[in-house]
Amino acid sequence: MGKIKQNPFVKKVGFNRIVLCFVLILMYVFFCVMTQGAFTGMDRIMSALNYAYFLGFLSLGVTFVIATGGIDFSIGPVMFCCALVSGFSFVQHGVPMAAAMVISILVGLAFGLFNGYLVSYWSVPSFITSMASMNIAKGLASVFTKTQSVSWPQSAAEGGWYRNLVKMGSIPVGLIIFLVVAIVCAIVLNKTKMGRYILSLGSNKEAVRLSGVNVKKWEMSAYIICGLLVGMGALFYVAAFTTVQPGYGDQYNNEAIAGCVMGGTSMAGGLASISGTVIGVFIIALLQEGILALGFRKDYQLIITGIIVIVAVFSDVVSRRRKN
Amino acid sequence: MANKKMKTAGQKSIIDRMGGQKVIVILVVIILFIFFCALSPNFRKYTTFVSILDYSYYISLMAIGVAFPLMTAGVDLSIGTGLVCYSLVGGWLIVFQGWPTWAGILASIVFGMAMGVVNGCLVALMDLPPFLATLCTSMITRGLGSIISGGFGISWPAAAAEGGWFRNIFKIQRNGLNIPIGFLWIILIVIIMSFVLNHTKIGRYTLAIGSNKEATKLSGVNVKFYHILAYVISGFFAGLAAISYSAIFATVQPGSGAGFELEAIGGAIIGGVSMSGGFGSISGTLAGVFVICLLKTGLPFIGLTANWQQIITGLVLIAAVLVDILKRKSEN
Amino acid sequence: MGEVILTMKEIDKSFPGVHALDHVNLEVRKGEVLALMGENGAGKSTLMKVLTGIYTKDSGTITYEGKEVEFSNTREAQEAGIVIVHQELNMLGHLTVAQNIFIGREFKKGIRIDDKKMNEEAQKLFDRMNIDINPKERMSNLTVGKQQMCEIAKAISHDAKVIIFDEPSAALTETEIQELFKIIRDLREKNLGIVYISHRMDEIKVITDRVTVMRDGTYVGTLITKDSTKDDIINMMVGRVIYEDPKTESMVPKDAPVVLKVDKLNAGKMVQDVSFELRKGEILGFSGLMGAGRTETARALFGADPIDSGDIYINGKKVTINNPQDAVKNGIGYLSEDRKRFGIVVQKSVAENTTMATLEEYMSGIFIDKKKEKEVAQKYVESLATKTPDVDQLVVNLSGGNQQKVVIAKWLTRDCDILIFDEPTRGIDVGAKSEIYKLMNQLAADGKAIIMISSEMTEILRMSDRIIVMCEGKKTGELDISEATQENIMNLATREIE
Repeated sequence: MGKIKQNPFVKKVGFNRIVLCFVLILMYVFFCVMTQGAFTGMDRIMSALNYAYFLGFLSLGVTFVIATGGIDFSIGPVMFCCALVSGFSFVQHGVPMAAAMVISILVGLAFGLFNGYLVSYWSVPSFITSMASMNIAKGLASVFTKTQSVSWPQSAAEGGWYRNLVKMGSIPVGLIIFLVVAIVCAIVLNKTKMGRYILSLGSNKEAVRLSGVNVKKWEMSAYIICGLLVGMGALFYVAAFTTVQPGYGDQYNNEAIAGCVMGGTSMAGGLASISGTVIGVFIIALLQEGILALGFRKDYQLIITGIIVIVAVFSDVVSRRRKN
Repeated sequence: MANKKMKTAGQKSIIDRMGGQKVIVILVVIILFIFFCALSPNFRKYTTFVSILDYSYYISLMAIGVAFPLMTAGVDLSIGTGLVCYSLVGGWLIVFQGWPTWAGILASIVFGMAMGVVNGCLVALMDLPPFLATLCTSMITRGLGSIISGGFGISWPAAAAEGGWFRNIFKIQRNGLNIPIGFLWIILIVIIMSFVLNHTKIGRYTLAIGSNKEATKLSGVNVKFYHILAYVISGFFAGLAAISYSAIFATVQPGSGAGFELEAIGGAIIGGVSMSGGFGSISGTLAGVFVICLLKTGLPFIGLTANWQQIITGLVLIAAVLVDILKRKSEN
Repeated sequence: MGEVILTMKEIDKSFPGVHALDHVNLEVRKGEVLALMGENGAGKSTLMKVLTGIYTKDSGTITYEGKEVEFSNTREAQEAGIVIVHQELNMLGHLTVAQNIFIGREFKKGIRIDDKKMNEEAQKLFDRMNIDINPKERMSNLTVGKQQMCEIAKAISHDAKVIIFDEPSAALTETEIQELFKIIRDLREKNLGIVYISHRMDEIKVITDRVTVMRDGTYVGTLITKDSTKDDIINMMVGRVIYEDPKTESMVPKDAPVVLKVDKLNAGKMVQDVSFELRKGEILGFSGLMGAGRTETARALFGADPIDSGDIYINGKKVTINNPQDAVKNGIGYLSEDRKRFGIVVQKSVAENTTMATLEEYMSGIFIDKKKEKEVAQKYVESLATKTPDVDQLVVNLSGGNQQKVVIAKWLTRDCDILIFDEPTRGIDVGAKSEIYKLMNQLAADGKAIIMISSEMTEILRMSDRIIVMCEGKKTGELDISEATQENIMNLATREIE
């Protein structure tokens, strides 16, 4: 490995990410072989991509939170809450589509603000805050929709244009938007003051505070970014699947965190990679699709994702142990 | 702080001398009870009283168990889905595999302890953050439960049916009246676990790990063993909770159970178990659980649906943690 | 002088990339106190960890009571009678004193822990040591000194034959140190072997019989304490002579303007009515014992901890400081005593740490101008002579002295007029120390005003133009350097202690 590292290309892209890309390709080949070619079809790939979009937004969002050394377990249910509240407003209250989309993002932001405020200004442990807001999100969505599922309009129906977010004709718009957002996230994280402070405070909050930096503000901003991205993720979820049901969504927490941690973001904070997260998300999305294609039930996805997170976090622990 | 004379007993507040947070929590329970009684005539019925206790069994068992990981400065998020999983496993063995009831009960508990061992190893041996490790096992137990039950709900034998004797552990019927004897068992368990916490090595080392793990290790304590044990205790009680849940409720649905752990953790924290480890009380935990149970059963009586109750549980949890944080701040 | 109880011979230990111990020897005798000295990183702690089984040695032999031994953990060492009193206190704050002392080997009555007996036994121990601690008290309610005494009681209760004190005095007040010495002498009387690890030369002279010196993981030699001078020992430690001349008169011009005035500052129990002035170009030393409230004063002044009352004037203008941001805006920089926790972000690069307080100056639009950032970091690496391969190096890979320079650079980029150095040379080896001193003098000469908190008397006397002494959260005196002596500082520093 020492030798590989000297290769400038490898150094620039990062060993970890190259390995991840290989894993992604190998996994695809594996599923193709195991399903005797059924997996090669375009619809399977599109279906995996549909899964990757919304999950990608969650994963990008939680990357910022994990970079501060925190965690957010509420992203899945909050995403559903966003989709339910805005969808219900559109369907039942006749709010225009554009406004509904704004509502979705605002709901996400509100939860981000709530989590961030409690964590940074009141030092409530982030997993407690987010577990509580997970419950609140589920409850709120159920109360708002009176426990009914909400169906967003189909493409042809009035207001159905939002589905172009995912696919317009044969152009995978979703992929383009997702990658653009990822690039913006990468720039924010690596090139701006906000990103610098988020990463630094994830590493040593007290030292950053004693440098005269308003750490509370920057820590909260990570949660707000997360909320914003979750609100956007909700739009991509409905654009792909149209129907949302209250009371669900916690499964996506784990998948989003899995994508993020697999991509090389350290649970201890201070170290994060957006490109890693993107590849990680694709791996998770492909995996979910592959498990179904192999004829396993959805329950196996839970188990396998759980194991993946354990393995990914453990390898992070081991690499930190080795450094010390 | 360092050079000041130590605080003497005389400086302790009245509340501290009377048992600290416990007293306040018991007051809150009483006030809540009076509040609901005053607002809703239906709440004042015997059946309501029984149904509060029905809910209290599995939540308090989980809470007593999870208090141990909490006191090591960890947490166990797998108990909620775990409870459902263990119950499904036991039920499946009894109903579909023809095991006798006692064997099914034993299997549930053993499975719970096995998951406890897994959690403990992930946390104590592999150094994973407890909340993340146990979140993963919560996903895994949820998946396992669904797979074993084939995705369908499972009903343990009814009270009158063969092998239904276990339901009488918690509730017996006399003259058409439900007598909630389960509460006596809970009291007994609280007494036993208080003893374990305050007077045995297990409790002492659990608190020591939460207080300063490195120092405990340097004192020659087998820290890994006792750290794992805390999670095994949590798993054991999740198994017991599974039995009580199966005994009280007719059917257990796979995929449910997420959120139970929040009620249990909330109860423990309200009862004075510190999130930062090193301190806790079992009887306080029981009192904390009753705050949750009263809210759970009482809110529908004043016209708030189960969904509201979910929101309020979330808020109560945050409030409890905030109190814990403020308390620690004032101590320094 | 008693018979030999413990011999470590030719101990060798390597970690990846570091030869931590290179054939080191150590000999402990019954009824004597052996000092183990050496700069930071000389391998003292590693040697003790090898002895007590925390690390396994690569080669060499350990002979204890005539038998060759190899312990695989601290517990085995304890059972054999070798006990360490650690530098960092190993206390379990939530448990009681007695519970702490007997942790890991509780008395039992059936399955039940016999707390009553533990309290009695602890009380007996304290009686024997002649100290007054309530075994039922919660550990976190004790002072640092009392906690240390509990650690020692714990060591004694192990029926120890060899006790190792790892920098025991670092957190103790002068009275507590005297108490500690009394106990150590007592143990020596009882024919125990004692290893005393310390940096403080004066203590070594007072309490020890022999001195073993280590340098860079090697054994340098052993001296009889009473036959050797301070310079002999220092020479062995550093391989060169360090002159530590006290300053005799203030270097500050008489008409230098007051840049900082603090009036009746109150913050918690540890800062009570503290008032002082700081002038341009001055190094104002803050002396006092551990826990006198000096760090607390600095932290309050810097806004790191909340202020209860009091006024702060900078250049004659009253300012409000509620948080570190306010302090930084007013030109105050703070170099914490605990660099790793409060000073640097170890997993970030030299450049990133350098611009931590001034990031807005290195922005072009919303982006960080990394080129400009690196240039300025490079500039300070050169001017402070920081030893680092490049500015992209992670700070965790630098030595203590160089990390300190990175923190200094951080505040210099901010162009702070007032710098608070809290224990500026703690954990820094002797060579780097004099460089930091030179730097501080240079800064003062350039017109910065410096507050220096230090627990080392020599450092205070060498660097300060004026000295403020604190005790128990109060200012107990102010001395010009020309009138300051060790004795009158010590007097002031213990004024409030009964």
